[in-house]
Amino acid sequence: MYTRGPVVVMELPEKLNHAEGKAFLVELQPLLEVDRPRIVLDCSQMQNIDSAGIEILLHCMEETMKRDGDLKLAALSPASAAILELMRVDRLFEVFATADEAAKSFQAVASLEEPQTLPWYSVPRGIADLKAAS
Amino acid sequence: MGLGAIVVVGAEQEIFSSAAPQSDLKALLTQPLACVEVLGRSVLESMIERFVRADVETITVLVAAEHSCGVEPLRGAYENVSVRTVDDVLSAVSDQLRDYSQRSIEHSFVVSANVYAETDLLDLFYFHREARQVATRGMDRDGTLDLWVVDCAQAHQSELEGLLAQAEKIGATYFIRDYVNRLQHPQDLRRLVSDALSGRCAMRPCGREVRPGIWIDAGAEIDRGARIVAPAYVGRSSKIQEDTLITRFSSIEKDCYVDCGTVVEDSSILANTHVGIWLEVRHAVANGNRFLSLEHEVVLEISDPCVMRSNRPAQQETKNGLSWSRKAREQKVVADPNPKQSPAPEAWQLGADLIQG
Repeated sequence: MYTRGPVVVMELPEKLNHAEGKAFLVELQPLLEVDRPRIVLDCSQMQNIDSAGIEILLHCMEETMKRDGDLKLAALSPASAAILELMRVDRLFEVFATADEAAKSFQAVASLEEPQTLPWYSVPRGIADLKAAS
Repeated sequence: MGLGAIVVVGAEQEIFSSAAPQSDLKALLTQPLACVEVLGRSVLESMIERFVRADVETITVLVAAEHSCGVEPLRGAYENVSVRTVDDVLSAVSDQLRDYSQRSIEHSFVVSANVYAETDLLDLFYFHREARQVATRGMDRDGTLDLWVVDCAQAHQSELEGLLAQAEKIGATYFIRDYVNRLQHPQDLRRLVSDALSGRCAMRPCGREVRPGIWIDAGAEIDRGARIVAPAYVGRSSKIQEDTLITRFSSIEKDCYVDCGTVVEDSSILANTHVGIWLEVRHAVANGNRFLSLEHEVVLEISDPCVMRSNRPAQQETKNGLSWSRKAREQKVVADPNPKQSPAPEAWQLGADLIQG
């Protein structure tokens, strides 16, 4: 596990089944209970997933959404992508090629949420101004 | 005119290069692709029908011994077709040509069952006869095909492999402009299904066209709440449960079961496959508990029977002199090479454990 600003990146285990998933969830649970958790699950090491594993992913997603946070997946192998698609959960997650890209996507969202120092729009001049100018 | 045909199934010799199975094909299927039912009938049977229609006197199907358990019984009854299991395909072809020659059959087609070519077989034969060559090889715009016409009397006297391989070099080639599918990869199977359903080739699905583009075979049961969007095919004795969606050039072959809420899009569900509830089968080929995603180019082995499984009965069947059993099929699956040794795709496990609430 490592952090990148407010984003926590966690590597999923090689096998994400009931037993391994439970241990993983114990480790992840405190991170899910903070305010606005921002979590990236790095799937690069994951070689095997079953129905229990998919439920763990959904549980994590649910917990982060409850606290106004988000969970993103990174480095999905073709096999895990195919499984998520078959189980119809692929569209629930944002998926990125690397964990870094996923973490950066959170920062992009965070910067948009901060107050802007300069307006990004221009005010069209009124008719009175146009007349004065002429 | 004395015309015979020899159809070769599952040969892995270099000369029958199109029959050599690809790694992902081996991971998905234990039988040759030509023996897999496509829209209710195997390509092998389609080929036999074409030979019968071309008035070929006798047709011999030579099945390589390692693939004998994969040859399904033929749907139709053919009087002039014999099926034999052989250890050495090339020498069996040579022996068969000698036999034809002794029975006054002057010419014979020699073809790999994987080649699906909608050419005029008689025109090919006349071309060969006029060319006065020992062998004439078929080719299309992508190259040579494993389809020859040979002179039986001369062919069995010379070295067969050299003769077949050299056929195009001595100028005796017949160019095929019609539809050809080499059936080397499951992608080719999907292409054949979509071409047949959209009318791009002459192959037509079995069964009845109940609505434009929707073909339902005998004994298929479709729930009133299921939606079938044309073009699509549902094979004989298959069951489609409520809230399912079968769409975009999908084919559900015989004795399949598609459970509630599942979407099958641009996919083929091969015979005797049970597909569980609320799944999305997209751009894929499913065979029992094996699932090939064509989009991700990976074969998944699904061990959770609720998700996907084979519902093939474990009984022994015998037809055309061939016998096979479920046990033999399972042994072949176990004997599959380690997926890590082949470059792609890898076999995956989707297990049966469910998380506790």
